[in-house]
Amino acid sequence: MTKMAGCSWFLVLGSVFLCNLFKTLLPSIFSFLSKVLQKDAEHERHMRAEIQEMKKEHNSVSMMDEFARYARLERKINKMTDKLKTHVKSRTAQQAKMKWVVNIIFYILQAALMISLIWKYYADPVTVIPNKWISPLEWLVAFPSGVAGGVGITCWLVVCNKVVSIGLYSIS
Amino acid sequence: MESPDDTTQKTSEEKSGLSSAQRRAEIRRRKLLMNSEDRMKRIVGFTKSESENNGASSRVTEPRFHLDLDRIEPWSASSPRLSPFLPEAVGSSHPHSSVPERTGSPLGDCSKVLGGGVVEDVTPGVRQRPRGEAQLAAEDPSHSASPRGGLQKYLSRFDDAMKLRGQLANEKQAQDAASSDTEELDSFRLFRLVGSVLLAIFVRVFVCKYLSIFAPFLTLELAYMGLYKYFPKVEKKTHTTVLTAALLLSGIPAEVINRSMDTYRKMGDVFADLCVYFFTFILSHEVLLLVGSEETESL
Repeated sequence: MTKMAGCSWFLVLGSVFLCNLFKTLLPSIFSFLSKVLQKDAEHERHMRAEIQEMKKEHNSVSMMDEFARYARLERKINKMTDKLKTHVKSRTAQQAKMKWVVNIIFYILQAALMISLIWKYYADPVTVIPNKWISPLEWLVAFPSGVAGGVGITCWLVVCNKVVSIGLYSIS
Repeated sequence: MESPDDTTQKTSEEKSGLSSAQRRAEIRRRKLLMNSEDRMKRIVGFTKSESENNGASSRVTEPRFHLDLDRIEPWSASSPRLSPFLPEAVGSSHPHSSVPERTGSPLGDCSKVLGGGVVEDVTPGVRQRPRGEAQLAAEDPSHSASPRGGLQKYLSRFDDAMKLRGQLANEKQAQDAASSDTEELDSFRLFRLVGSVLLAIFVRVFVCKYLSIFAPFLTLELAYMGLYKYFPKVEKKTHTTVLTAALLLSGIPAEVINRSMDTYRKMGDVFADLCVYFFTFILSHEVLLLVGSEETESL
């Protein structure tokens, strides 16, 4: 029990580390989700390939000799290009929406985790050290537990957040 | 029925009358042009000195001010009835001759001048003296010292706003792409962090029993301030945020903003050092406790 109580600083550190790690990996998670949920990429690739082929054919056709074919090809290319643009626009809008949703969910989860940690360790310090080591700021470090020589949850959260963000940034 | 002599006499009288009216209009127009700087000053507010008068803005603003006058010339060509009393106004090289008569308030005049379009007939402007013009005419001409400064400042601020808008858009794109902290880990910063870690371990092992842990930290920060000059200086990119843009547009000089940002950055560095120091201290304390408890258990 004492060991578990003594490991509360480690629990907080681990939670903060996971949150920051998740935040760093958010772009990759988002790109994975977009690949899974949006299956139109294949169709889009087909359209692009088709447009390329038509453009090649269009360049090879002489306007003077085969005007009708030239015009027909141009109309087809324009139609396909417009269709592709519409498709890309809707896909981009969907991606932006998805990104927004993922971000919102992450921030909600992070806020819930932080609030639960603060709620749990509101009255108890995460660790206790001799009072005179941290003078004259013992009241600030101990906030909100009020225990002399204790390290409060808010101080520890701030410190862990900063250290983990520096560490992850240096690694990435 | 009128005789031809009477008609001729009337025409000549009209012509002389017209020419005198024309002359009066011309005089008034010139007076207005000379007082245009005063008017601009009143519009944008009197400024004592030009604090930020960089070459680009002055180059941009001054020609623009002149351009307003020069731009009016083609209007006179397209709308000859602007100055019906001045036959020489059409295609004239004199810039003032082609300026349409300004009526109403100075602001209205500027909008008419800058917005373009056909100006109303001169005759009402000749008769009526606009309030603004009357005020300006009545005022002491000594105020025309730096009226252009206000306009230049206004235009330069507008340019700054547009540039900042573009910068913000670019910064946002870069941040979206990068989505990472803007702190750079240069050699000095790395040195600071490593120094904080080592000091924390040293303090935990040897010093903490005798004095507060913050005293050695403060000494370390003072040492860093002295050692800063021995490290290669890294150019810090000034990131334009909405806050800095708002501060710039509200009139706070860029130097003050840069200095404040620099101060906040340094405070941020000190805070980061403190966090790393405290974290390492607590971690080493816990590790030592764990090792000590395991030793006692094994014994």
